[in-house]
Amino acid sequence: MTNTPISKEEIMAIYPKIAEIIADALPCEVEKVKLDASLIDDLGAQSIDFLDIVFRLERAFKVKIPRGKLVADARGDLSEAEFEERGVVSAAGLARLKSFLNEVPDERFPSPVKVADIPRLFTTETFCKIVIRQQRAAAPATPPAA
Amino acid sequence: MSGHFRAFSFVDRITSLRDGSRVEGCYVIPAGLSAFPPCLAAEAVGQIAAWAAMKDAGFLRRPVAGLAGRVDLLGEALPGRVLELVADIESLDEEAISYRGTATMGGAPIIRLQDCVGPMIPVVDLDDPDALRNRFALLSAMGVPAGGFPGLPPLPFHRIGGEPAVSVRAAFAVPASAPFFPDHFPRRPVFPGSLLMQACLELAAALVAEVPPPARGEWRLQSVLNMKLREFIPPGKELLLEANLKQCTANSLTLALDARSGDEVVGGARLLAGSGETQ
Repeated sequence: MTNTPISKEEIMAIYPKIAEIIADALPCEVEKVKLDASLIDDLGAQSIDFLDIVFRLERAFKVKIPRGKLVADARGDLSEAEFEERGVVSAAGLARLKSFLNEVPDERFPSPVKVADIPRLFTTETFCKIVIRQQRAAAPATPPAA
Repeated sequence: MSGHFRAFSFVDRITSLRDGSRVEGCYVIPAGLSAFPPCLAAEAVGQIAAWAAMKDAGFLRRPVAGLAGRVDLLGEALPGRVLELVADIESLDEEAISYRGTATMGGAPIIRLQDCVGPMIPVVDLDDPDALRNRFALLSAMGVPAGGFPGLPPLPFHRIGGEPAVSVRAAFAVPASAPFFPDHFPRRPVFPGSLLMQACLELAAALVAEVPPPARGEWRLQSVLNMKLREFIPPGKELLLEANLKQCTANSLTLALDARSGDEVVGGARLLAGSGETQ
C-alpha cells in the first residue's frame, strides 16, 4: 500500500492545509505557497523553517516525520556510496532522486547536484507527499479479504 | 573568575530525570537582583531541557534556541525566591529536541512554554563537553551554590521611527562584550535568544502603552507566539527591532515583532496582549 503511487487527488486533498502551515511558518501569504513553489528559492525558507514546518505537520496530521532522514528517504535502497561521492550525487543517485522528487521539473536539478543542496529542490508538493507517505505508513494494514 | 556556569546559567540543581522524558530542577534567583525578567524564567526552562538533551546525547550535541510555539507570561519571578523548573521532552533525536515546560514559584505559575523546538548542534562548536558532563554530574548530585548570576547589563534600544499606537522601530546594538557571553557560549559567544525576546517585549510594551486602554483594566502582555530565531547573533551586531500592531479588539491586541540585521530577518514572533479583565 505504501508503495502505491501518490495520486493528484490525494495531494490536492491536503494541499490547502499544508499551504496554510507553510505560510504560517515562514511567514508569507498563503497565496504564494503554490504547489510547485521551491521552499528555499521561491519562498525564502531557511533550515530552521524546515524544522518548524516538519513539527507543525507532525502536530497537524498526527504523523511522525523522520527528521534528518528526508534525504535518506530520497536515497531509497541505494547505499550512501552508490548515491553520492564526496557530497555530489552520482548518476544512479540522480536517477533515484528524480524519481523520488518527480514533482520537481528536470530544469530545477542543477548539474551536478550536491547532497547539501537537495532540500533546495523541495517544493510544497514534496511536503504533501511526505505527509501522505507517513499517513500510509501509520495506517493499520488492511486485512486480507475473507 | 570565569563566567562559565555563572553569568548566564539558570539551573542550580536537577532533582529528577525520568527516562529522558521529564526533567525537574530548581534555580534560586539571587536576592540582590532588582528584577528577574520573564525571558530569564523561560531561559531557565530551556536550559533544564537542554541538560536532559545533552545527557541523552552523551554531551556530544546540545540544543540551541530555535522555535517557541507559545510562551505564556503568567506571573512575576521575584529575586530571592526559588524557581521550580519542569520540562517534558516530547521528542529528541540528532537533529532537534521538542519540549514543553513550566517555571513556577511556590507552586504559582510564572511562565509556560509549549511547542518548543531546539536544533541540536555539536557541543564542541560551543563548549567543552567534559566541562558540561562534570557540571551535569554536580547539578544532579548536590547541586551548585546559588547566586552566580550577576544580573543583566542594560540592553537599551533607541526609537528611530514608527507611528504612535500603530508601530515602532528601534535600533538595538547587541553589546560587544557582556558578562553573559563567556557562559553563552565559551567557545562561541552568541547573544541569547531569550534576551532578544526580552528586548522585543520591552519594545512591544512601549507600543502597547500608546494604545488607548481597554474599557476595563489595562493592557497586559500575555503570550509570545511562534517565536523563531533564524541565526546566531554575535556580539556587537546592530539590529533593527520592529513592533507592529496587527489587530485590536475590545479586549485583545496582536502585535508582530521582527528583528532584522540589514535585509535579513534574524528573529520574529507574535505577541498577544489582553486586558487585565481577561487574565
